[in-house]
Amino acid sequence: MPDFFINGQPVHAERGQTVLQAALAAGFYIPYFCWHPNLSVAGNCRVCVVEVEGEGGGGSWSDIACNMPVTEGMRVLTDSEPVREQRKQILQFILLNHPVDCGVCDKAGECMLQDHHYAYNGEPSVSTVPKVRATKYFQLSDRIVLDNERCIVCSRCVRFTREVSGSHGLGIQHRGDHSLVRAAEDGAFNTDPYSDNVVDICPVGALLSKRFLHKARVWYLQPTPSVCPGCARGCTVNLWHRKHEWKLNHLDPKQNTEIARVTPLANPAVNGPWICNKGRDLAALFERPRAEQALLKGRPVALGEAFAAARRLIDDAGRPVALVSSWGSNEELAAFKRLLGSRFSCFVKSDQRPAPGEVVEDDILIRADKNPNTATAKQLFGEAPVAFPDGADLVLVWGEGFDFTQLPRGARVIYLNAYLAPENGHADVFVPISIQTERGGHYTNFDGHTGSFERLFAPKPTVAHAEDVFAKLATTVEVA
Amino acid sequence: MTGRKLIMDFPVTATSHLLADYVARGGYETLKRVLTALKPEDVTKEVTASGVLGHGGAAFPVGRKWAVVKLDDGQPHYLCANADEGEPGTFKDRWILEHAPHLLLESMLITCYALQVRNCFVYIRGEFDRPYRRLQAAVEEAYAAGWFGENILGTDFACDIVVYRGAGSYVCGEASALITSIEGRKGYPRNRPPRLTVRGLYQKPTVINNVETLSNVAIIMRMGAEAFRKFGVAKSPGTQLVSISGHVNKPGVYEVEYGYPLARFIYEDCGGVLGGKQLKCIVPGGISTKVLTAADIEGVTYDHKAMERAGSQVGSGGMVVIAEGTCMVRLLQVMLRFYHHESCGQCTPCREGMGWMHRIIDRIVEGAGRPEDIDTLVRISNANDGTTICGMGDAAGYATVGIIAKYRDEFEYYIANKRSKCGGRLEVEAGEPVHA
Repeated sequence: MPDFFINGQPVHAERGQTVLQAALAAGFYIPYFCWHPNLSVAGNCRVCVVEVEGEGGGGSWSDIACNMPVTEGMRVLTDSEPVREQRKQILQFILLNHPVDCGVCDKAGECMLQDHHYAYNGEPSVSTVPKVRATKYFQLSDRIVLDNERCIVCSRCVRFTREVSGSHGLGIQHRGDHSLVRAAEDGAFNTDPYSDNVVDICPVGALLSKRFLHKARVWYLQPTPSVCPGCARGCTVNLWHRKHEWKLNHLDPKQNTEIARVTPLANPAVNGPWICNKGRDLAALFERPRAEQALLKGRPVALGEAFAAARRLIDDAGRPVALVSSWGSNEELAAFKRLLGSRFSCFVKSDQRPAPGEVVEDDILIRADKNPNTATAKQLFGEAPVAFPDGADLVLVWGEGFDFTQLPRGARVIYLNAYLAPENGHADVFVPISIQTERGGHYTNFDGHTGSFERLFAPKPTVAHAEDVFAKLATTVEVA
Repeated sequence: MTGRKLIMDFPVTATSHLLADYVARGGYETLKRVLTALKPEDVTKEVTASGVLGHGGAAFPVGRKWAVVKLDDGQPHYLCANADEGEPGTFKDRWILEHAPHLLLESMLITCYALQVRNCFVYIRGEFDRPYRRLQAAVEEAYAAGWFGENILGTDFACDIVVYRGAGSYVCGEASALITSIEGRKGYPRNRPPRLTVRGLYQKPTVINNVETLSNVAIIMRMGAEAFRKFGVAKSPGTQLVSISGHVNKPGVYEVEYGYPLARFIYEDCGGVLGGKQLKCIVPGGISTKVLTAADIEGVTYDHKAMERAGSQVGSGGMVVIAEGTCMVRLLQVMLRFYHHESCGQCTPCREGMGWMHRIIDRIVEGAGRPEDIDTLVRISNANDGTTICGMGDAAGYATVGIIAKYRDEFEYYIANKRSKCGGRLEVEAGEPVHA
């Protein structure tokens, strides 16, 4: 049953839906700035205006679609001449005091104002009076700068801090065309662990991430879907990196293998459209100094030599123990179970613990377990805490987070790690392994949702995938 | 005399605003009768039958507003008296707050009974000092006399009142901004739907009426709807408090019966134009209404229909008289400076449009105007008409369009000659009044 009509076509609407929601769900295009699917209706940008045809000879009227409840049989026009004219006027108003400095704006290329401007206005500013000047590069928090001249006062960021993050960290000061988004108190926005989301939801380039400020034009970047390993929530994210066709051969080739920024990848079942600030800083986590050389007691060797030495240790061991990484993907953990699980007594190890000052847990996204795949690891290898049995003479440590002073006296050590660490040189055998951005795989989060991540960069040839290492170390021939 | 009186029907003395004087005038007798003899629905029926219109500016029928509140919906209801009288040129509610605060309180109690309201509010503008002190003193008197609190007059009816002082924002006189302000937030107007009578203060059904509108309730209940309708004209029953100011010999607050001749009110009752000058135009009901020239008001009676036919509105009753020789460009500049200053900045057309219009008119006054500026002002006004969250955008547009429509030649002259056609003055030198 069609509930109402958009541009003459019957459209079904759910109970309680607004015209904007129903129209977007049915694939109609209505522009908007202040409306956001996960925030309350503010109705202040006025650009989603639509025309409603009058019934029974009454004249047609127009109002904003985001606050218009669908009524049975109403006839909505989203692209009539009066609607286009009104939208053009609204965009003229918005551009009146907007600096139009797209050339130096990080948002250019993914800016809603650019899109709507070219769709409905496309003309230079009609104003002949000087623009209202406001603060630029205002430090809203330690992580975010605000350009008040670009701001269109849509209040999305303010509503985010009230309705999603709950920090109430932002508000609007003054009124009229002098309205300024400001932190509620000095430093109030610093303590919001979700503050960087306002950069994403800002429809223009007013709120800018200091980490990404002037780092890249977004059209040189491409997103690769991934899973944030920062905690057991496993938020789906996009890792943005330089497009292959735009790779820099000479100027600064390091940029080709760097994560430019991290944005949430909307996933209603896990994280909605949000991620926390720790997820934004994944680049810092992944781009720590990497271990790229296999070692035997600190002596550099080829990978093959290290594998051979490790196999000898395993063959000779009486009671080998394995500390399995909770950062391993489902595939890697399954491979370990299949190939080495019967030879070793296995314990699941917590690779990362909360850093000082970090929000440990809240009721929004952040989980206390700071490892992405504890769920699968514990399912395969049990819940028992790490405890070395008497006579343990070989310990295979996979991943970070193990204090080597806890090793049983006299035990030999095989160590698999991706990053440079003092322990690497102390292990009897050290094998450098790849990280999440260099391979594909899956993590299963704390409540059973599995997310997949894809490969962004090629690993160094001297680095092995953990899955391959296990195959090399397997003492028995694999039975298919 | 400006017709029969309903509100200003007693001599103002040093004690006339106190409870004892009000009771001696028969005050609170109506409330007694309502509480003991009438059902809540009877009050609403009577007020609806009286046909009384809102006196805040929009002239919305009071009965229709009240009828939306369902008495048996199981929710708390709220009542707010809008005493945030911020419309430039309007100061009529101030008279009630200063001289008849108990009339307002009795009316609010009757309204609370009719709408089953447990807690009611008066939102009074922060600049009102004496009105606030008088109202607060009246509230304390009324509490002491048992008119507020639990078990009023021994019945089950209970009601409490809070007087809330605003902080000076014009927009907070808009009903939804007013309740947002009472809730302790920034005074931003809200989008409709939902209407405030469905979801208002604290998300509950809320009736917001102007002080003068509410003050009429006790009068209607005292004399009955039928007797009330004998005042004024059929479509506009009752009276209007008019605050008249500007270039007029006897400015002040007058109670005018609807249907009274407008020209006679200005020329005779208010003593005519200051300094013996000719009348140029009047702003009839707050600066958001369109101006009426001296020719426009000939033969017009002061009621809603007649004012609409003349091309304007009764509005808030804030009348400003403008004498011949006043520069309309400067006048519009003053108005637009006000609207720019008071735009809350929530929605785009008003936030950007008010500043834009203000900067254009400033430039014209500085002598740097361009011929196309006049049309730009009209275009911005039209782009604000009906596209904003509250009525402020429309109001500024009406004022601008109204002045430009009637005095376009002055604007063209100012732009072409870089000086005013009328000497550029807003003041009139006082001389001998025309009417002795």
